[in-house]
Amino acid sequence: MTAALAVEALEAGYEPGLPIVRGASLAVESGEIVAILGPNGAGKSTLIKAIAGLVPVSAGRVRLGEADITATPAHRKIREGLGFVPQTENVFAGLTVEDNLDLAASLLRVPKKARMAETYALFPDLARQRRLLAGALSGGQRQMLAVARALIVGPRVLMLDEPSAGLSPKLVGLVFEKLAEIRRTGVTIVLVEQNARAALALADRAAILVEGKERLVGPAAALASDPQVAALYLGHGRRGAA
Amino acid sequence: MLQLLADGLIVGSVIALGAIGVTLTYSILRFANFGHGEFLTWGAYFALTALGGFLAMSGGGAMTPIGPFSFGWPLLAALVVAAAMTAVLAVALDWALFRRLRRHGNAIVLVIASFGAALALRNLLQFVYGAIPEYYTREIQIAIRLVPRDVMGGMRITPDQIFVLGLTAVCVVAVHLFLTRTTLGRAMRATAENPQLARVAGIDVEGIVRLTWILGAVLATIAGVFAGLTGQLRPMLGFDLLLPLFAAAILGGIGSVYGAVLGGLIVGLAESLAVPLIGAEYRAAMAFVVIIAILLVKPTGLFGSAAR
Repeated sequence: MTAALAVEALEAGYEPGLPIVRGASLAVESGEIVAILGPNGAGKSTLIKAIAGLVPVSAGRVRLGEADITATPAHRKIREGLGFVPQTENVFAGLTVEDNLDLAASLLRVPKKARMAETYALFPDLARQRRLLAGALSGGQRQMLAVARALIVGPRVLMLDEPSAGLSPKLVGLVFEKLAEIRRTGVTIVLVEQNARAALALADRAAILVEGKERLVGPAAALASDPQVAALYLGHGRRGAA
Repeated sequence: MLQLLADGLIVGSVIALGAIGVTLTYSILRFANFGHGEFLTWGAYFALTALGGFLAMSGGGAMTPIGPFSFGWPLLAALVVAAAMTAVLAVALDWALFRRLRRHGNAIVLVIASFGAALALRNLLQFVYGAIPEYYTREIQIAIRLVPRDVMGGMRITPDQIFVLGLTAVCVVAVHLFLTRTTLGRAMRATAENPQLARVAGIDVEGIVRLTWILGAVLATIAGVFAGLTGQLRPMLGFDLLLPLFAAAILGGIGSVYGAVLGGLIVGLAESLAVPLIGAEYRAAMAFVVIIAILLVKPTGLFGSAAR
């Protein structure tokens, strides 16, 4: 079966000749949640940004289903079905909540009314705050809006860069519950996380990235219970650290 | 006093339209384009060329004025043609120069390049059109007295000046509606705020950059034609307005379209009201005074945000 998202020997970095991602490979099956974990500086965010088209790729391939999207510009990847939620500054603060969603739906010419209704049903808080500027939302609400903005266009694969960053433990729980709910709608999810425990509890599988390349890939539950993995890569004894 | 206010508003209209382009370029492309004044000049001269073409096609006579105005339909048609030509010039300049430099991401290089582009454009224009002042029309206009002389000195204004004020208001409302009600306009605002997020949200940022040049060039053409209509066309027309344009953009808050409009009107009024105090020859210095004052008192401008 073709993977929903496949990364093959990817090399990517901000400067030519200085790759941060060094030959990473990953296959994500349709409908699963895959967490990308690893120590600071492992290249997790760079990997996900390279897949999204925000960091130049110097070698390797990215496939979305059957389509090779390695060289597809970032703004077209969302049209191909690949959504991305950056870690910070992930909403347009100067636009209202409704304008954030409406703009995304209008750009991709999806049936706006129906999608807005579905999105507000999934995120009822946003419906109540639709007239507020996105910049006035709390951290958790912003994260919900960022996810909603990416979801409203109906991506097949949704990638999130540290969705728990800067959130209280209670809000992290809410965000992760929402991701589980989104997965039940058939969306494949890839998330980069520092909060390894929460990510492994949510994910089906995980990849541990070290120095720009996957060191371990396996079922999330198995990785979570592996004491060596926990000690080496997941910050054994430090709650929530990666 | 009232006459000075009217004169200030008319000059301010030209500055406001030009300043919108300056502030849009800054907010989307992240650099101060010192070549923007040349778009006003080229727009004004393109309109002169197109006007000459329309008049030649219609038999070579002078244009028949519309109602009380000094100009006829050919000038309005020439304005449309000139706006398109200036837009092509701006997009071509971006393609040939700024786009390549943008890839390196150094704003200072872009600013210096814009100085160079301005020099080249100004000298090319002088080479093509010569340095002798030109006019769209030599019709004599009688100013209408709107306020009697015994009320604060009275106020007289020509129909052309009323046209300039009216069309400026229409342009500002149109830009406002474009930015707030259309998908493209909101995409422009989104790109100005966060280009990287705009990309992953599905916005073609390069397309938005082109749109920014086009919109700035169209408004610059209108401003240039207004300047020519209420005065004369000179190769230094845009250069002389450059400082007021930047004063208006800084006063309004770089990146704020509404700030640029208000800033333009304030700079125009300040220049006009300064004439009895410092003389007409030093009125241009008021733009300096405005820039210094706003930088000392509120560096982010009237509507600017500290984050930008």
